[in-house]
Amino acid sequence: MLRSNGFVRLLLVVFLLAGLALAAWALFLDFRVRHEFEGRRFALPARIYARPLELHEGLKLKPAELEQELKALGYKDGGQGESGWYRKTGGGLEVAVRPFVFWDGSQPAKRIRVSFADARISGLRDAADAQVPLARLDPLPIGGIYPAGNEDRLLVRLSEVPPHLVRELIATEDRRYYSHFGFDLRGMARAALSSVTGHVQGGSTLTQQLVKNFFLTPERSITRKVNELIMAVLLELHYDKAEILETYLNEIYLGQDRDRAIHGVGLAAQYFFGKPVQDLTVAESALLVGMIRGPSYYDPHRNPQRALERRNLVLKLAGEVGALTPEQVKQAQGAKLGVQPRAASGTTPYPAFVQLVQRQLRRDYKDEDLRSEGLRVFTTLDPRVQAAAERALVRRIEQYDRDKRFGAPGLEGAVIVAGTQTGEVQALVGGRDPRLRGFNRALDAARPIGSLLKPAIYLTALSDPSHYTLVTPLDDSPFVWKAAGAPDWKPENYDRKSHGMVPLRTALAQSYNLSTARLGTTLGVEKVLQTAQKLGMQKMPPPYASVLLGAVDLSPLEVAQMYETIASGGFRTPLRAIREVTTAEGKPLNHYSLSVEQAFPAEPIHLLSVAMQGVVSEGTAQALKSWIPPEIAAAGKTGTTDSQRDAWFAGFTGDRLAVVWLGYDDNREAHLSGGAAAVPVWGELMAALGPEPLALSAPENIETATIDPQTGLLGKGCPGAVDLPFIKGSAPKDSAPCAGGVGGAVEAIGRAVEDAVKPLKGWLDRLFGR
Amino acid sequence: MRFAILVLLLMAGCASAPPSPSPSASSSSTTRQPAPGSPPPEGITVKTESIAVASILQSARADAASGRLANAAASIERALRIEPRNPRLWNELARVRLQQRDWAQAEATAARSNSFAGSDSELRASNADLIAQARRAQGK
Repeated sequence: MLRSNGFVRLLLVVFLLAGLALAAWALFLDFRVRHEFEGRRFALPARIYARPLELHEGLKLKPAELEQELKALGYKDGGQGESGWYRKTGGGLEVAVRPFVFWDGSQPAKRIRVSFADARISGLRDAADAQVPLARLDPLPIGGIYPAGNEDRLLVRLSEVPPHLVRELIATEDRRYYSHFGFDLRGMARAALSSVTGHVQGGSTLTQQLVKNFFLTPERSITRKVNELIMAVLLELHYDKAEILETYLNEIYLGQDRDRAIHGVGLAAQYFFGKPVQDLTVAESALLVGMIRGPSYYDPHRNPQRALERRNLVLKLAGEVGALTPEQVKQAQGAKLGVQPRAASGTTPYPAFVQLVQRQLRRDYKDEDLRSEGLRVFTTLDPRVQAAAERALVRRIEQYDRDKRFGAPGLEGAVIVAGTQTGEVQALVGGRDPRLRGFNRALDAARPIGSLLKPAIYLTALSDPSHYTLVTPLDDSPFVWKAAGAPDWKPENYDRKSHGMVPLRTALAQSYNLSTARLGTTLGVEKVLQTAQKLGMQKMPPPYASVLLGAVDLSPLEVAQMYETIASGGFRTPLRAIREVTTAEGKPLNHYSLSVEQAFPAEPIHLLSVAMQGVVSEGTAQALKSWIPPEIAAAGKTGTTDSQRDAWFAGFTGDRLAVVWLGYDDNREAHLSGGAAAVPVWGELMAALGPEPLALSAPENIETATIDPQTGLLGKGCPGAVDLPFIKGSAPKDSAPCAGGVGGAVEAIGRAVEDAVKPLKGWLDRLFGR
Repeated sequence: MRFAILVLLLMAGCASAPPSPSPSASSSSTTRQPAPGSPPPEGITVKTESIAVASILQSARADAASGRLANAAASIERALRIEPRNPRLWNELARVRLQQRDWAQAEATAARSNSFAGSDSELRASNADLIAQARRAQGK
């Protein structure tokens, strides 16, 4: 008796505890449902946009290039409707520009007519034939920064979703959606029955499916099924049918684009049909609804026949319950699938550039916000420049691989293109497969820069006009550099020859190592490194003399930063990949402004730029003339490292700076020189873009003198005389004999004597370890 | 022997030292090649802005006048993408930077304008004024 009494009490306690536990569990689930449904909702990736194309009179742009840009933006040829199409009109284009919310406000849809002449825009008019000063196209989305699982979606409101899509969904997935309380016993029974008969039908309501996707892991167990049921009921208690349906339509997984997961009907409409969800037809909606059951199994790209049959089944089911009229079903069943060709871009077609964007963003934004807040990031990427850079690099690498046959892994490379005055990064290629998200050589490959450091040496020299001008003779004889605590350094010329006394500008143009190393040691390695830092080099390598010939490892991005300072006239302009960041709604958050800092006076930079034009016109980058005409007067510098492991070219035209690097990841000998291998990539890339000539404007304190190249003296009337710039007061005072100079004769004798003693000087240098 | 070397070295040194000034008076026709860096035919004359740039400038000035400085700066940068070597745009940007009390940028940007200003003395004077104001504000 006592025992049975105790048993009952025990039983009571157990029931009580179990009840409490169940209540606690339900409360916990309730908390989760409410918290997650409201708090998390949807994590929206930050959206990254290319620069918008700004159309204006005089812009260098061919009709075909504009058409290509419009096609990339998804504008339809000869389309109709308010916007998003273009039409060819005798030599020009009529464009119905889409509305877009820019950083500086929203821009309504508008119609413009663009006319062309001589590969430029010659006129821009609106629908009323009034002149339009400037028209901005909507920018190309180039990727995002995604939440876990690389989920991507475009949120839509239930009111934007066509009613026929909703009716098809309910007819197919959950016929009693509007009457059940989260679960559907009849549906479950039918599902159980159908699994026996083999005619598979899901028994989950839309609410249950949403719970499953939203809160639960995909394992199959009784506990999970119970949780799903409780949570579905809780969801129905807290939210109305429309809210749940809207969330479902945004949540549902509908396909995979490489590493990007396509969620929701909004993005699926864009991805599969290239149109907003509002415009989906009965047949198109039915295809999406059909895919819910198996996005991979019914993938219309890979399994079109299967997808078509599934779509027609959805249409039939919708017809059966009266969601569609028999005519609608008949017509839709006869329609083509209508999916647009798969443009597999994954999370981004430009992973290298997006990586740079992400790094710059992480200075100001939390990673979590970037992955969830739907921020809009407006970047500097120019898709046309990017395409040219990719084409040039990939083509050449393939050719070099064929010619050299060094086997796998193949030759690699990187390219950066930036605007010379604004510092905006227009293109970035991180390797031979530009679509591959992987090691980004443009940012992360630290490679010896070889002769690319030489401009820092010459800039240091030219900053001292009392000792150095473009025609100062430099000694190109062999020498050994001895310094305490450092190994002896015995530089050699690329051609293993010594070139006697050479004018400064020739030493740079021909990239002579001996004269440059002598110059560098005379100036002081530390001083040269300071110049390199002022140009934009971030690191400070130990001041060994070998650094002078480029024994310092930099990334192509760092090199680009240094050359940008030269290209922008001595003003250090930080390279930028981002212009603006706004919230998802378009409220501005950050503007990354153009900033400049004068790092060098204009005069020595001008002299250096002229000398670097010499590299292209008569020096190691002469091969460029096969791609761009001499009038462009590009300036640059080649770089080749020991045993030709790295081939570089860094240079600029009037409008763009580009750095090209080629080499092997495992540092094998590449047997490619900067001049023979990197220059062609640079030339091909620039030629494709129609470069502006580099018209250097001489600063006030610069005068021009006519120089006899033989003596380096004033040489009016001398054969082959050239006009060269000098900082005022630093030009030679004497005339060469061919120019009838008196002093010139003395100078010539002096030069002859100097030539005679040169071997002795070299001997002395060796003796004293200079 | 050593003495001989010294003499030779001295001579070589003297030879490269500048003797008395004797500018060449020769003016015969030469086979001069234009140096790669010589100023372009159109020189550095300041052209009037294109209508695109003019329209942006107009809105930038309106923004600046009503205190929307960030917008004004962004608009001028937009214009600079179209005409990066237009010294008036750099001058305009320097002016906005001064209003934004970004003294260092105001000074550097005005100097940038000068580097394209050529012989436009009016613009140079304006830049000099901006630089002076910016320097004063920085206590330079």
